[in-house]
Amino acid sequence: MLPSLALVAAATIASPFLGRYVGRNSGWILAVPLAAAAGLLVAAAGDGVVETSIDWLPTLGAALSLRLDGLALLFGLLVLGIGAVVLAYSARYLKPRRHGDFFGLMTLFALAMLVLVLSDDVVVLFVAWEATTLCSFFLIGRSATGTREPAVRTLLVTAFGGLALLSAAVVMAVGTGTTRLSEILADDIWATDSTFTTVVAVLLAIAAFTKSAQFPFQSWLPDSMVAITPVSTYLHAAAMVKAGIYLLFRFSPVLGEVPVWQGMLVGAGLITAALGAVGALRRHDLKELLAYSTVSQLGFLVAMIGVGTPDAIEAALVHTLAHALFKSALFMLVGVIDVQAGTRDIRRLGGLRRRMPVTATLTVLAASSMAGIPPLLGFLSKEGLLEAFWDAPGAPWVGPAFAVTIAVLAVMTFGYSARIVLGAFGGPARDDAGAVVPREAPATFWGPVALPALAGVVLGLTPFVLDGLFADAATAAAGVEMDTHLALWHGVNPALVLSVIILVLGIVLVLARARVDRVLQPLDSPISGLAVVDALRGGLIAGGKRIGHLTQTFDPRRHLVMPVVVLVAIAAVVAASGLDLDPRIPGDSTALDWGLLAFVSVGVVCVIVARTRMAAVVTIGVVGFAVTSWFFALGAADVALTQLLVEILTLVVMVLLLRRLPWSFRQRRRGNRIAPGLLAVGAGVATTAAVLAFTGRREMSAAGEYYVTQGPAETGGANVVNTILVDFRALDTLGELTVLGMAGIAIMVLLRSRRALEPREPEPVIDTELPISEPRSNTVFIQTIARFVGPLTVVLSVFALLRGHQEPGGGFIAALIGGAGLALAYLAAPSDEEARLKVPHVVMIAAGIAIAAGAGFLGYAEGSFLAPIHWGYVGPVGITSALVFDIGVYLAVIGVVLVALNYLGSHLLGLPPERIVQDKRMRGRNREEAPRS
Amino acid sequence: MTLALAAGVIVAGAVYLFSRREMMRVILGFVLLSHAVNLMIVAAGGTFNRGEPIGKDLDPSEVADPLPQAFVLTAIVIAFSITIFMLVLAITGRRDDDVTDDPAAAQSTAGPDLPDPRWDPVSRRVITPGEEDDA
Repeated sequence: MLPSLALVAAATIASPFLGRYVGRNSGWILAVPLAAAAGLLVAAAGDGVVETSIDWLPTLGAALSLRLDGLALLFGLLVLGIGAVVLAYSARYLKPRRHGDFFGLMTLFALAMLVLVLSDDVVVLFVAWEATTLCSFFLIGRSATGTREPAVRTLLVTAFGGLALLSAAVVMAVGTGTTRLSEILADDIWATDSTFTTVVAVLLAIAAFTKSAQFPFQSWLPDSMVAITPVSTYLHAAAMVKAGIYLLFRFSPVLGEVPVWQGMLVGAGLITAALGAVGALRRHDLKELLAYSTVSQLGFLVAMIGVGTPDAIEAALVHTLAHALFKSALFMLVGVIDVQAGTRDIRRLGGLRRRMPVTATLTVLAASSMAGIPPLLGFLSKEGLLEAFWDAPGAPWVGPAFAVTIAVLAVMTFGYSARIVLGAFGGPARDDAGAVVPREAPATFWGPVALPALAGVVLGLTPFVLDGLFADAATAAAGVEMDTHLALWHGVNPALVLSVIILVLGIVLVLARARVDRVLQPLDSPISGLAVVDALRGGLIAGGKRIGHLTQTFDPRRHLVMPVVVLVAIAAVVAASGLDLDPRIPGDSTALDWGLLAFVSVGVVCVIVARTRMAAVVTIGVVGFAVTSWFFALGAADVALTQLLVEILTLVVMVLLLRRLPWSFRQRRRGNRIAPGLLAVGAGVATTAAVLAFTGRREMSAAGEYYVTQGPAETGGANVVNTILVDFRALDTLGELTVLGMAGIAIMVLLRSRRALEPREPEPVIDTELPISEPRSNTVFIQTIARFVGPLTVVLSVFALLRGHQEPGGGFIAALIGGAGLALAYLAAPSDEEARLKVPHVVMIAAGIAIAAGAGFLGYAEGSFLAPIHWGYVGPVGITSALVFDIGVYLAVIGVVLVALNYLGSHLLGLPPERIVQDKRMRGRNREEAPRS
Repeated sequence: MTLALAAGVIVAGAVYLFSRREMMRVILGFVLLSHAVNLMIVAAGGTFNRGEPIGKDLDPSEVADPLPQAFVLTAIVIAFSITIFMLVLAITGRRDDDVTDDPAAAQSTAGPDLPDPRWDPVSRRVITPGEEDDA
């Protein structure tokens, strides 16, 4: 079984390249591995049921469990066999050019279907189910123009069913405690818990109905026939819709007796069969006609599975095979007619029997099988259906009533089968002026089609060769040991009588077809299923918009204020209801703390009352430096250093931007300040109360104690905070580093896509006659300082980086020291152009994150991602994977600082390079033209 | 006690700044808010032991809890990058950093609403509306 799956997987991987470089002929090449995989499947199934399991998501308990029983074998053969034929057929149906995506998707579709029928795990089953949904979506959507809407509708309907399947899988996994399908089916919960059984039955039926186009979800299937013929063939005959049928078969042993299951399946099946049959009788487009006939035939199958007796299951299985053969043949033949004659419309076709004799013969064979004419396989399966319905359980009239209903529908089937044959090949030849004269297709084109068409004849005459296959499949799907004996002749029984009546009435219907057309043509369904899907989709989107509009505003203030209001309300409720808390540990404040609190308070008040942006930026520094000092006082030297450096760099960046914004803030009326003021006071009180209530009531946390007592020994680093950052919680740090890098890149992207505000005209504060107004002289002092301090900061930053594991320092602090040095160099430059630091900052960000992640991969040498490794010492410096990690941190942070300085400092903010050159030239010209005073 | 009071004062200031209409003030509100949150995290570790958690043989009853410190350290750096990003948002507005979406209020205090300049990939230059002819 695994070799078979591996072969299809290999074909799937190779197919896009084959399709690209070999073109349409890769259809023939790809048919080989699919056919071979089918052979391998048969060989593997020779020894009875085969099971394999590969661990996949051990934490979920889901494994890639595969199980090959009779049912899986039957469907696997359909998937691979029809798949191979369709691929071979595509080799001539398609135009000669590149077809990488088509072949890639088709083989992927086959692979997904194969996994679906082989899977013995409901999670795998669901994944494969969704994969088929997506494959069909892309295959329909890529086919031609105007296929987007049908593809989207198909996706919506089938994805809805996928959700039902997912729900069923979850209910089953929770109810039985396993995701293994064979164990779920063997569980006795089905007999003991009727709620469980009913819920699962309804969910699975909905899933199967959407996939197999059953009422009320039937409309997507005719809609999706806009796809190209190979896709439609595969969808209708072996893939997509058969997945739903497979699901019903698979769960039939446990749900076959459940009334809601029987009711849903038989009801929906018969309604669908009738809708499909009427639809097929009314269509003129051969392909559309076939699409409706598929709907109808699937209705038969679903109703049959709903009857649920072992004979019914067996009959449904035989009909599944018969349907796959005649439907695939018919679809492909219609494709042949379409290519050769240039149309599929029976009002424009006719008399093709002489021009296309082979196609005509094959079509007659396939359509006869569909119509149920002996001795074809379709006759055999229809006999089986009639017999099983006649013997349906329940009141004595139930069976015959079903059988007669089916017979009526079978007459209609006969009618639309004849429509295909007579419409395309009967009557006089029509040679429209200017139209292409239809000619017989080459053997390479009809050759693949002959296989399923002739198989219907051969298997109809020698049905006993299938006995073994169907006995195994029916045993798996009926849940009881089955011994199948297929034969054309069953003696005279009700089914045979009905068959004869069907043939007679069918012929009558064909003879009266003109009148039937007149009666049926005006019948139009009052509700279009497609319109319902579209209306639901539109309603969903509109509803989402309406909900969004409730809170939608571009004013960030409302978004910011709402959470605060809610938090204050929560705090009030908690405070009112009271809390049971441990006592606070005394001695948490010192005299210095009160002094710092005073600084902080003054700073906050100054920021609020500041009238100019410059004042606000400067006074917020009071808060920042007070907090920095506080960190020092609290024994957090690393934090304090980081805060100090960030404070400096933030100030530099803000000052760079201030010239682009108005000098002063707008004033607002006093009345507008009351509500925000009250909210602010409420938030402040709530914060203080919360901090008092929830902190300072216990000794050091267990985690903290572990880091303090064990950290130095385990990591070889004495600076515990640094060891937490680069050893114990390095994964967190890596994530934060990535956020940092993304922020740097986002800044660049933002400034390239949206131009910054123009700088304000500088107000003349200095006499232009003085040398100080000239930038080069003006910067003499700071340049002199920078010349000495610059190299010093570089040395200092490397020093901080290397000692970080033992003493205050580390990648973040080292990078910020370096960044401060770069800011100094930047401020010292006499002009924007000279200030630009020509370092590849994006590369630095990327390299930093890559090095940090690479340090993590080094950890695999010790067993896991980011596991610490200690290689030894170079002088006093310990060479560890943590140091490599810290170097990554260093590069990324310094890259972000460089982005900030380079992009925000220039007056040419965010302009592309060409524009900068142009701008320079313009400025030079202006200077020359300006009159000298 | 003092940290709780400080956090309360800073949060009050931050929330008040959130209600103002200039992006610059909103950003300063965020800067204040991150100060407050950092103080809260440190407070959560307890402030009665204030020894540096640096050294080989440390006594948990003397040194400060290193875990909140590590959290705060990265939080400061992240807040720095977010602050710069928001500052860039502030200067890529249409007229200034006004965040109101009330057009009437905006119109009364500023000039006409100009469309944004855009990057033209064909001519490989920025097209500023009103100066298309300055090639």
